[in-house]
Amino acid sequence: MVFSSFIFLFGFLPVVLALYYITPRRFRNVTLFVVDLVFYSWGEPKLVLLMLVSVLLNYFSAILIGIYRPKKRLARAIFILSIILNLGLLGFFKYIGFIGETLQFMLPFLNIPILEVSLPIGISFYTFQTMSYTIDVYRNTVAVQKNVITFGTYVSLFPQLIAGPIVRYSDVAEQLVNRRESLQQFTDGVRIFLIGLAKKVLIANQMGVLWDILRKSTDGGVIGAWCGILAYTFQIYYDFSGYSDMAIGLGKMFGFEFMKNFDYPYISESITEFWRRWHISLGTWFREYVYIPLGGNRKGLGRQIINMSVVWFLTGLWHGASWNFILWGVYFGILLIIEKTFLLKALKKAPAIVRHIYALFFIVLGWVLFYFENMGEMGVFLGRLFGAQGFGLSVNTGAAILSFLPLMIAAAVISTPLLTNTFHRIKSSGVRMVLENTGCVLSLLLCTASLAGSSYNPFLYFKF
Amino acid sequence: MKLKQALKYLPAVLFVGFISVMFLLWLILPKQHYSAQEKRVLADFPTLNAETLFNGNFQKELDTYLSDHTPARSFFIGLNADYQLITGRNGQSGIYLGKDEYLFPKPVKESENLLRNAQFIKEFADSSDIPVYMTVIPSSGYVNHNKLPLIHEEYTDDQLIRSFSKALGDKVQYVDSAAPFFEIGDKGQLYYRTDHHWTSKGAYKCYSLLGNALGYTPLKEESFTKETVTDFYGTSYAKAALWAIAPDVIELWHNKKQPEDSVTVEIRDGADVKTSHSYFFPDQLRNDDKYPVFLDGNHSLVTVTNENAEDRTLVVVKDSYAHTIVPFLSQHYRNIIMVDLRYYKKDVSALAKEHQAEGVLLLYSLDNLSEDTNLSYLF
Repeated sequence: MVFSSFIFLFGFLPVVLALYYITPRRFRNVTLFVVDLVFYSWGEPKLVLLMLVSVLLNYFSAILIGIYRPKKRLARAIFILSIILNLGLLGFFKYIGFIGETLQFMLPFLNIPILEVSLPIGISFYTFQTMSYTIDVYRNTVAVQKNVITFGTYVSLFPQLIAGPIVRYSDVAEQLVNRRESLQQFTDGVRIFLIGLAKKVLIANQMGVLWDILRKSTDGGVIGAWCGILAYTFQIYYDFSGYSDMAIGLGKMFGFEFMKNFDYPYISESITEFWRRWHISLGTWFREYVYIPLGGNRKGLGRQIINMSVVWFLTGLWHGASWNFILWGVYFGILLIIEKTFLLKALKKAPAIVRHIYALFFIVLGWVLFYFENMGEMGVFLGRLFGAQGFGLSVNTGAAILSFLPLMIAAAVISTPLLTNTFHRIKSSGVRMVLENTGCVLSLLLCTASLAGSSYNPFLYFKF
Repeated sequence: MKLKQALKYLPAVLFVGFISVMFLLWLILPKQHYSAQEKRVLADFPTLNAETLFNGNFQKELDTYLSDHTPARSFFIGLNADYQLITGRNGQSGIYLGKDEYLFPKPVKESENLLRNAQFIKEFADSSDIPVYMTVIPSSGYVNHNKLPLIHEEYTDDQLIRSFSKALGDKVQYVDSAAPFFEIGDKGQLYYRTDHHWTSKGAYKCYSLLGNALGYTPLKEESFTKETVTDFYGTSYAKAALWAIAPDVIELWHNKKQPEDSVTVEIRDGADVKTSHSYFFPDQLRNDDKYPVFLDGNHSLVTVTNENAEDRTLVVVKDSYAHTIVPFLSQHYRNIIMVDLRYYKKDVSALAKEHQAEGVLLLYSLDNLSEDTNLSYLF
């Protein structure tokens, strides 16, 4: 079930909110767990079992680790086995087809069969979440959760189940047992949810329409190609950050606080800064559970570069079972290493505008690598960006760009903190309140209208 | 102070209120089976059993069901159309809003199918000993070029029609209506504002243009009395969803000198035959789509007999645009046999021979012609 659908907004959510709040406080996790399973099985009626397997696997590993903690080697063995099983499940369901294809390509004489396994929704997200728990238990930084319902609720919590943010168990352990929902928190949640919904429905989906037009047009020239990849740049940001906002907002409605996942990434002045502002929960996860355990930056520059390479290879791979995602990860890894070794220092001396252009250029170019799974198509599109199909713009492509221009400009403005800052500078709380409520009503009405008006509603991040 | 405290929570109240009301209305409101506005059957409540639940079909179909039966669906669809328009995306629905509340379907694009159809018609004409005539009716947006919105895709009807008519070869007598129509432009209302079809005036202009080739002297406009029918909302209106636009007026042109009972219209759909004594079918005006008032809309085979006209027979192979022009042509032919290749799958040459027709007229609009894949049934 996606958040921006009628079935979620006008079916699931009102019913679930009612059920949740009439449930006595101590049974609320049970209610949540049940509706989480309904939510997940809505899209994956069979693979919900896989998620339950993952829940039980980590639940029992943690308990065993807790029991055998005094026997260090045994605890360690259980821990390693658990990690292998977790990664094994993820590897099988997400990467087996990809591995088969790659082997077949490299060793065609072996006749390696390619297994067709359908990717369970959200497996990349929930596997990382459950692993954060088992790892932290092993490190003894969180207590073992003995209540399987509580742990199941954490893993399957529907607001962030299918597209993040990746909530670490340690961040919500306390909230899972002792949370006090409040009307203020609920109201904040509504506000963030509606912002996210508007981002997804009113901007991302529309930018997707423009990107489709411009990607397929053969007479758009350089301008058409750049406008196209800019449209995709906005689509992916508004789609993903909109989804994260909706998740955070929904979390608050049920008394949870999740970490911020996006912080105006496109205002970054370097790639290093971009990755501190983009998909923060994923970056945090990799830093916490891969980069730092590998030694981080404490073992000299050489080792640091190796560590960064590993992290960025994995970051790319996490995004999808295809070489272009690995390419995309490695591309950022290289940029980050270059920045770390000398470029950041040099950039400091350049004017801000140069830093912005530098960062945006490489971010936007990165989305080309990210979008095209087919290397041939990627090459053709890169060629178009740099003039392989001429500069001229046909009337029809021009008309498409012009008709989306107002939305593009809005998307550009809203991707900076300008509007939020202006809003907070308004002194009169009355004016702020009127603006805020008008915004909420507009978002609700226009999103409903937009969903009614079109069935174009794929969530980009379902692939991962 | 207390009120101000409570007002802080207004967004939550609005949100929960809205989604709950939508949910409850959806439960309570009676469900329609057919949407007149969208001209389609709405989804039924999906079957719920273990199989549909486990393969996910129930879930998918329930979502469709819910969106098909959303409370105030047409309000929201209209709101979306208005929102798209004011944020610059005129035409995203496939329909442009032009000046003076004109709605235009987006331009017809170049297609291989168009030239394939030309090839079928050429082969048909080459193999036929009866003269073949043709005209292609350009689109409303091309003709009303002065009424198009500021930002719009290019209407290249003239180029498309030129390359099409060239491909027809010498045996087809092609009569150009694109250039004369373009010249008239928005001066006479040749097309409806809210529909893709041409008006009686548009059909009359084309009828005047065809006279030379077909061999008749067109009647003057003054020979007709014009009966008007109001409140016509066409297909473009339904697609654009800009509900505030004013309706069109349909004109039914009656020849002043033609007695009522001299006309016989015989409609055949397979074995079904019905006859009537007028070009116009007022019963159709009660429906949402009123255009079928002309010759009762689309049928496989329709014979129009006019006792007062010269003893000539013409076969018209056509789409729905022809329904407006055939009453004019009927003034000069005792028999007109209209064939719709979407439903009529028999040999047209044989039909023409059987009725000793003196000609076959192919009459298509550019948009239909570029998409129609039934021209192969010509012979």
